[in-house]
Amino acid sequence: MSTLLPPPKEIAMMPVDWVEERSGAISFGKFMLFRNVPKDISWLQTLGSALITVFILQATTGIILAMYYQPTPDTAWMTIQWITNEATLGWLVRGMHKWGSSVMVVLLFLHMGRTFLFGAYKYPREMTWITGAIIFILVMGMSFTGYLLVFDERAYWATIVGVNINGTAPILGPALSYVLMVGPEIGTNTLSRFYSLHMLVLPSAIGGLIFLHMLLVVRLGVTSPPWSRMEPTEGDV
Amino acid sequence: MPRLTARERREGYQREYAFQQRHGKPFFPHVVFHDTIVSLIVVALIMGLSVLWYVQFGAIPTDPMAERTGGLLGPAYEAKADPGVLGYHPQPDWYFFFLFELLRIFKTPQLLIVGTIIIPTIWMVLLIGWPFIDRNPDRRLSRRPIALAIGVMVPIVLLTLTFYGSKVPAEGGAASTEPGAAAFAAGACSTCHVLANAGTAGNVGPVLDEAKPDYATALALITNGQGAMPSFKATYTEDEISCLAGYVATWSAAVGTTPGPGAATAKDYPASCEKAGGLFAGTVSSASGP
Repeated sequence: MSTLLPPPKEIAMMPVDWVEERSGAISFGKFMLFRNVPKDISWLQTLGSALITVFILQATTGIILAMYYQPTPDTAWMTIQWITNEATLGWLVRGMHKWGSSVMVVLLFLHMGRTFLFGAYKYPREMTWITGAIIFILVMGMSFTGYLLVFDERAYWATIVGVNINGTAPILGPALSYVLMVGPEIGTNTLSRFYSLHMLVLPSAIGGLIFLHMLLVVRLGVTSPPWSRMEPTEGDV
Repeated sequence: MPRLTARERREGYQREYAFQQRHGKPFFPHVVFHDTIVSLIVVALIMGLSVLWYVQFGAIPTDPMAERTGGLLGPAYEAKADPGVLGYHPQPDWYFFFLFELLRIFKTPQLLIVGTIIIPTIWMVLLIGWPFIDRNPDRRLSRRPIALAIGVMVPIVLLTLTFYGSKVPAEGGAASTEPGAAAFAAGACSTCHVLANAGTAGNVGPVLDEAKPDYATALALITNGQGAMPSFKATYTEDEISCLAGYVATWSAAVGTTPGPGAATAKDYPASCEKAGGLFAGTVSSASGP
């Protein structure tokens, strides 16, 4: 028997080898984990990954909220009320989604400010900056489409003013307002449209851009701080 | 600023990248450690805000349509959206305060588009196109005085706009007893408009004492909205809108008890206010009669 079976260690590795042989996922993972980054980066370069954490948190809490929320003028506010008051830990899920959005906007500012001050958008990283800037604008779109969904007084009036602001644009403005509200006033279709933008269109666009943004970061390498010098320190190979 | 050829630029980057590959530190565990700590702090912060928000909730209101109050971090939810509610003062969430403040700065109909479209569009274009505007290859701040100045100015401007945008309208004086004044002061009108006769100091939209709209203009604006102004068709009845339009036409730019220049155009005023009743009927009209 023992001559027929490979040693236990090899048996244990079989599924891993199977995946590796067919996808290269293991060597890709090893490359991602053990690639070298500049020696002198530290806490200031953690904001991007914190943003990804918040994005995942928003997606997770958003999925849970979507299981209970109903986007019609009659039920939207009732379901929000139910989630907040009745559902087990509903207040926490809604609270984390609500406050997560604020934290995300603040972190985006800090991340962008760090990139700006370090000049990390300069050649060859222009595209990384552009994808990030578009993510920023789309996140503002998430904030805007998100607060109509609560359908309380603030949601209602702030959305009308916001849509009217779009409507002041020359030529395209009134058409854009009409498309956003699906008609001249806020109604059932407005809520469905905002809901669809908020949980399908914008998040997938943001997710795709985050992927592209990270791809560029890995391909071009993390920017070393502007003060860093290309001198190997002691103990280097 | 030193000009580099495309080739110098490329080779400079390649040198840096090669150096990083040779003398850098591995992503794991160094970066993973820092990232994990910061992410945990951020998640804890978000949970902390949620808990702080939650513990200050008031009791669940018995009226199923009412607001559930909160504390420092705001209510659990406000009352259900109802276009018929008179006295709501709309305000956006904090991340749009800067835009709200721009509305206040460019409040006249002619300038409105500067605040709503032109400035935000320029911002977005500058933001996306920034790497093509700043062609200075140096990354050290001491060699980037213009970028540093911009990097300091932009947050200051945004924070200032956000701060002023967060302010609720200043308290005005007392409303006069003319028909329509009390309704104007109690309703959404007062959030955005200054009208001395109603004692309101809302500073988002045009100052009515300066704009002096005639009856027809005011009627059309209240009914259909314009620019950032919402339509109030669903909020007020026809009589109520007619009353408010008449009131605004008559008493904008009024001096004391002398009606303003628009008074002549206010055809159904104050009869429409009588018909609308409630807050709309003032005390003067019932004494003097239409």
